[in-house]
Amino acid sequence: MRKFLNLIKKETKELLNIQLIASLLFTLILFYFMGTLMQGEMEKAAAPQEIAVWDLDSSELSQGIIASLSSANFKVTMLDEKDKESAIERARGSSATLLVLIPKGFGRSVSEFNSMDIETYYFIRGFSISATSASGAVKSVISAVNSYISDSFLAQKVPGVDPEELKNPVKNRDFVIIKNKVAEGSPAEVSNFILSQSTFVPIILMMIIIYSSQMVISAVAMEKENKTLETLLTVPIRRNYIVIAKMLSSGLVGLLTAGIYMVGLRSYMGGAMGRIPSSNQLDSVVQKLGLVFTPQGYLILGISLFLAILCGLAIAVILGVLAKDLKSAQSLLMPIIFLVLIPYFITLFSDVNSLSLPLKVLVWIIPFSHPFLATQNILLANYPPVFYGILYMLVVFSILVFIAARIFSSDRVLTMKLQLSRRSLRGARL
Amino acid sequence: MDTVLKVEGLKKNYGNLQALKGISFEIQKGEIFALIGPNGAGKSTALRVIATLLSPAGGNVEILGYNLRKEPEKIRERISYLPEEAGAYRNQRGIEYLRFMANFYASDSAKVEEFLKRAAEIADLGERLYDRIGTYSKGMVRKLLLARALMTKPPLAILDEPTSGLDVINSLEVREIVKNYVKEGTSVLLSSHNMLEIEFLSDRVALIDKGLILDTGTPRELKEKYSADNLEEVFRRAVS
Repeated sequence: MRKFLNLIKKETKELLNIQLIASLLFTLILFYFMGTLMQGEMEKAAAPQEIAVWDLDSSELSQGIIASLSSANFKVTMLDEKDKESAIERARGSSATLLVLIPKGFGRSVSEFNSMDIETYYFIRGFSISATSASGAVKSVISAVNSYISDSFLAQKVPGVDPEELKNPVKNRDFVIIKNKVAEGSPAEVSNFILSQSTFVPIILMMIIIYSSQMVISAVAMEKENKTLETLLTVPIRRNYIVIAKMLSSGLVGLLTAGIYMVGLRSYMGGAMGRIPSSNQLDSVVQKLGLVFTPQGYLILGISLFLAILCGLAIAVILGVLAKDLKSAQSLLMPIIFLVLIPYFITLFSDVNSLSLPLKVLVWIIPFSHPFLATQNILLANYPPVFYGILYMLVVFSILVFIAARIFSSDRVLTMKLQLSRRSLRGARL
Repeated sequence: MDTVLKVEGLKKNYGNLQALKGISFEIQKGEIFALIGPNGAGKSTALRVIATLLSPAGGNVEILGYNLRKEPEKIRERISYLPEEAGAYRNQRGIEYLRFMANFYASDSAKVEEFLKRAAEIADLGERLYDRIGTYSKGMVRKLLLARALMTKPPLAILDEPTSGLDVINSLEVREIVKNYVKEGTSVLLSSHNMLEIEFLSDRVALIDKGLILDTGTPRELKEKYSADNLEEVFRRAVS
């Protein structure tokens, strides 16, 4: 145990060097800064927008439209210029993003069922999020105007009836059924909830696997490049301890790195997306349908994630042996990236159950697919596929560790080399 | 005398290439035994097999009675190996590297300190032992590695070209270290191209060429046998 801990300490220290710590800190600061910046822009975009209105009609209808715009989160500034050019010039000089021009005779024309154009002038003053998102104001203004006109017309023609009831006479009640549980709620909201819960795990997993694998491959390649591997292989310690120590320390550092990246990403996303208000209705539907992670669910998901990481590390050790130096080690990471990306995109964009059999088999064969699928299955209380996945990953991991230990116990650890142009087994120097 | 290493009919192949074609020799306690021969003769392969890095294709190797195939871990506890192109972890300090290696051989921290004290004497790097290895010259790294190999007083030290790439002064220092060390009971198996070095260091020598041992004896015996003034001439005559 003392010798094993000695190895773990050395491997972790080698990986957790000052360069890595500095780059992690820099990433955290960068994400935080970007998040704060985005948050400021989003707040600006969400704030009431300033619009200028030049009302040449001054009818009851146009007055009503202006009042409805004020109540629809627009800050209205009225203009009384003599001509259009002067009105545009004044609006341009103000902070208004939009100039709405209501023409003379608009109210009369609408009351006679003749459509008439309202002119809108949109001022582009920049390309930031807040500036570009304000372009939606045109649509919002026209929508508010149309809604006001149709509501006033309906209220006039059919007094005592809510215009909304007339415009949307058919209503529906949505129910969602999962297994034997029924709850009243929007299927779209429930689907989005499940999707949001199951997209975070693949991102974390993808980051951890790629980071940790890169570390293992580099650690083995560096031993070869620095000519330290031969000495290490002749010290009195079991060869599989060397393999496990490299995997374990890379896994720990990978976990730490991914954790820090996730904190940074969360800070950035929090700024970019803002806090999504949780609806009480959705919470109640989710509770009724049992779409919550129980402690057992978290434990099962954790085991699934851990095994996937171990499989990635075991593959990385084997690939690391093929590297002749640090440079070639970088290209050897590609197979692992592909193995992670295939199930990541398949599970993100489609339902595995709806895939053709060969594609399904491909997804199931890749060990990293199982934790991707586990989140949804655990939420839906569909446990058998999760357990089969865990069992499968355990078998794959055992086989991979056996292969890695065999390689480290044989000549191959010194003689195996993969050349970029051709694959060849080369004999050691005589 | 006690036999430390016994090699009988050792063979090693790389694909179709026969690197060792059945070599045999023995090393006794406190003896420096050298394999000399040209590039590709099989010296490094023989040392790597004995150091448990490569598996033999045939023959038998025993170190202090332990069989290489059956008990490689027991053998690793009793040997130390210095590869020709060995390196050390560049981000570690010299003392950190020695401590890391000492921990594999020591049973407790007192033993680690004992090993470190000895290593510091052998390496003779002074305060530079506390600097990062990445800042060391090639000679300093080689002395550090030699200190690592000898600090545990292994029953058998396997040194592949111990003075490889060193200047004259550093080479002389390394030779002195090796020569003094066997006085404390360590046996040494080494390989070298440098016949003068071998003549200075070795008690016995094996001439190896194309995977075969051509002859074995003390430098004096070989010189007499081949009527030669030095080992270079001995080797030339043995090959011809």
